[in-house]
Formats: sequence, structure tokens, C-alpha cells
Amino acid sequence: MSPDTVSAVWLSARVAVLATALNAVIGVPLAYLLARRRFRGRRVVDLLVTLPLVLPPTVTGYYLIALLGRRGLLGSPLYSLTGWTIAFTWYAAVIAATVMALPLVVRTARAAIESVDRDLERAAYTLGRSEWQTALTITLPLARNGILAGLVLAFARALGEFGATLMLAGNIPGRTATVPLAIYTAMQTGESGQALVLVGLLTALSCAVLVVADRLGAEAR
Amino acid sequence: MSGPRGLDVSIAKRLPGFSLEATWSAGDEVVALFGASGAGKTLTLQCLAGLVTPDRGRIAVGGQVFYDSAAAVDLPPQSRRLGYVFQGYALFPHLSVADNIGYGLRDWPRDPRRRRVAEVIERLGLGPLAPRRPRELSGGQQQRVALGRALAVDPQLLLLDEPLSALDVPLRRQIREELMSVVREWGKATVLVTHDLAEAFHLADRIVVYEAGRVVQQAPKGEILSAPASEAVARLMGVRNILAGTVVKADPEHIQFRWRGRTLEAVNSPTRSYFPEPGAPLAFFIRPEHVRLIRKDRGPIDATHHMNIMAGRVVDEADFGLTWTLYVRLDEPGRAAQGEYDLEVEVPRLVYEILEVERDRHWHLSIHRGSIHVLPS
Repeated sequence: MSPDTVSAVWLSARVAVLATALNAVIGVPLAYLLARRRFRGRRVVDLLVTLPLVLPPTVTGYYLIALLGRRGLLGSPLYSLTGWTIAFTWYAAVIAATVMALPLVVRTARAAIESVDRDLERAAYTLGRSEWQTALTITLPLARNGILAGLVLAFARALGEFGATLMLAGNIPGRTATVPLAIYTAMQTGESGQALVLVGLLTALSCAVLVVADRLGAEAR
Repeated sequence: MSGPRGLDVSIAKRLPGFSLEATWSAGDEVVALFGASGAGKTLTLQCLAGLVTPDRGRIAVGGQVFYDSAAAVDLPPQSRRLGYVFQGYALFPHLSVADNIGYGLRDWPRDPRRRRVAEVIERLGLGPLAPRRPRELSGGQQQRVALGRALAVDPQLLLLDEPLSALDVPLRRQIREELMSVVREWGKATVLVTHDLAEAFHLADRIVVYEAGRVVQQAPKGEILSAPASEAVARLMGVRNILAGTVVKADPEHIQFRWRGRTLEAVNSPTRSYFPEPGAPLAFFIRPEHVRLIRKDRGPIDATHHMNIMAGRVVDEADFGLTWTLYVRLDEPGRAAQGEYDLEVEVPRLVYEILEVERDRHWHLSIHRGSIHVLPS
């Protein structure tokens, strides 16, 4: 394997793990709020979170640039303060993968949380437990398999992310070129052997992910 | 006795297509909220527990105000210290029996908590089940665990939502006895919700009757059957022979009224005398077991011994084992009061056999005036 191929695998692994962790931290609480609370703007949040599932990834990438790019809504004050921009760094690949995977976690975890009998939570409240304690000891443990299945799917999605990553992070070999981007580059430059190795790797990983997610889903039922 | 010494509920709650307006109170006893499903009983229980916030009103338990819209008081369920046993029990499926029972004690130091859990398990006879998961238990065992979990925190009031409805009918009787003994033994003031009259009578001291989001009567259970507050309550109670007549005259002792071509006399309520105008419609009921068949082997009918005498024919009958129910159509012409018949009459099996009712179908009947219950409209 060429050094660029090795670095692509290593980079993709880091991006997918970090994006999955971010999804656990952001997506699960978001799923809980959407499942259990009625608050103003709930529908808007729901819509925004789900949008990357249906938008072309390049469009999502465009919005991410508009938000985080050097002239972006958040990116430009950050740039003028620190002289640093997230665009075309490997952090950008993490952000793109996180946003693209978020709907999978939120939707799967939300369905799992909604299927927890509300009387169990009510029982915990009457037994003196706060909403926070109840979520940690009753709701989330009972929704565990659904949440894990969502995170496994998110990991797979993050691993395979292409369009939004290309837009926000670019395709810089050794720096932001993840496995899917490296496959594209390899095909463009006629290194089909390198491409085949990576294609095989991603296919095997995706199959494994589907098997795990399926097991978790079956256990949840 | 760790009871609340008084329970005052007065709440209003509007939901889409339903409105609840309930006011009742109780002492240190077992209260049944009785009524058809959808009458607002469970909603009341949820308001008591703080799981649902009423639109307005006041809830006080043992002098502690849980909710008062005027004073902007609304304690969260966590601070009300009530033991809520849910319909279907709501046991935590991922926790063992012991952990379910100890769930409300998580703030306790380890050793006292262990002792308390062990004590509750012991008192409810759940010993061998402590390490099991709820789904491995029978319905009756699940109910005991739910009771144990609620009682472990020493609640000032126990709330039971349809405690027996999750059980198969053959089990209910036994579990009802168990439930009663637990409630009595632990001496907890209790509010239970039921749509089963027999359950209400077996478990409760006092009954609050709900109909379509309103409380239509509240009284000690003995009173509620002998003096239902209205025709609606009488029907909810499954009272038979609810009939309609026309007032002739009413005085503080008696009410005379016309029914099926004759004048009957009933005792007016000594505590709540009722003075309808002559000619006013009147609802009344006669308990089937209070209608007497007049024996034919004792000579002519003695009018000083029998009152409200009428004659009729048994047109149908039903065997209930220890008793027979006879459906009697009076000799009067015109439409019978209850379809094919005018009165249901219940006689003990022995009487049925001695009088040979099976062969002899025409009888004179008498009803003591104290057995005709006038229903205020």
C-alpha cells in the first residue's frame, strides 16, 4: 500500500471514531429531547437534524462551508480572531461526517426512547427520582440497543462519507483524503489496485456493521 | 398508622374532548374511585400524584398542600411521597425484584437501604424471587413487587390504578384478598381506581362515583348502595328494578305515587326528605330480594301484614344456584315496565322449591314501603 493509502485508512478510522463519539454526545440527548419534551421549535430542530438524510451531500457541504468556512457565519469571526479556519483540515472531515451521520443516530435512538413505556418513567418520578436520574437509570438503559444500533450505523455512515467531506475538507492526500476520497483519486489516476484494496476494506467493514446493527435490533425486540 | 389524616381533592382539567371537574374528600381509609372507563378516575389519580397538572383547583393530603392554583403551589411528583401502583405495574424490566423494590431508596446509605429492601421482601413473602427479573414472575407476584416498591419509601398515601385488571379472572379473587391484607397490614390510606363494583366493595371503605368527568356521589360504601344519590348512580351500581312513576303526594314520612295503575307508598328519607309536586315524575327502585311472594296456604291476605300488594305471573326465570330470579309481569293491562316484565324478584332456592314456583306461576306480591327507594332526580 502506498503511504497515501495507509494515511487514508488511518485518517478515516480517526474521523469515524470521533464522529461517532460526537454523535453519542450530541445525538442521544437530542433524541431524548425530541422523544420526551414538547418545546418551542421542536419541529424545526427535528427538520434540521433530519435534512442531511435527504439533501444531496454536496448541498449539506455547501451549507457547512457557509457556516464554518473562512467567510462563513461562524467561520469568519473565528478567522478574524484566531487566523485559523477549520476548512481543509481533518477536523472539517470530522464535522462533515458528524452532521451526515446525526440523523441516523437521532432517528434510531428517538424511536427506541419513544418505545419505552412512559409509566416506567412516571413510576420513577413518584419514587423520587428526577428526570435526569430517570433518563440515566431507566429510559436510556431500556433504549440501549436501539441507541447502540444507531451509533453503529453512524460509524458506517461516517466511514463512507464523501460529498460533504469533499466540500468542507477538500481532498488533500495525507491530510484530508479519507478512504472514499482516496478511492476516487486512485481511480482518477489509474491506480486501480490501490482502489480495489480500499473498496474491499470498506465493503467488509460495512457488512460487519450491518450484522452488528441487525443483532442489536433483534435483541431490542 | 402513617396515614394522611385527610384528603381533599378539588380539581378541574380540560383535555381535548373531555373535561374533568372532581371534588371529593376522604379520611384515613381506603377510597375507591368507581366509574366506567373514561370517566376521569385515572386522570384524577395522576393529578394527585403530580404526573398531570390540573388547570385549576386544590389538592391537599394530610394538611400538606400539593397543588393550589390560587396560591401557585404545584409540588412535583418527586416531593409528594405517594406510592403509585400503576395499571400493569410498570416494573423496571431491566432490574431485579430487589433492585425494583430498592429503586426509591437510592439516596439512602447502603446498609439501611439493604435492610429496608430485605424487610419489604420478607413482609411481602418475595424472598426467593429477589434476584429474578419481573418478566419471570406471575401476575400476582408482579403486583406484590409493585406494592413493595411503592411501600418501601413509606409513602403517606398509596395510589392503586385498576390493581386487578391485569390479572386473569380466576386469579383475581385470590390476589384481591392478598392486596387487601397488604393494604390493611401496612395501614396505608389508599386511593384506588376501579371500574369493577365488586372490587370497589371488597377493597374500599368509601366510594367516590365518577360519571363522565364528574363526581356524582361520594359516601361510605354501605350508604351508596342503600341510598344512591340519583338514578344515574343507581344504574352505575347495577341496581335492578329502576322504575318510573308519578307523584300523588309527599309528606316528611311518606311518598305516594302511581305506577302501573296502582298507588304505591314509599318511606321518605328521614335525613333528606324529598317533596316533589303532585304529578311530578319520580324514579324509584325496588331490590329484587325485597319483593315478597305471598304464601297461598295461610288464608286470605292480611293487609296489616302486607303492603303495596300486587298480582302477576312469572313469565321467565333464571337459576343462579343459591337463588332464583323470577321475571314477573303484573296483571295490569298495558305495556310492562321493563320490556316483557314489570319486576325482577329474587327468591332463595329453598323458597322456590317449597312454594313450587316451577309449577305455580301466578302470585300475589308485596313490598314493604321501606324497601321502595325513591331516587331524587
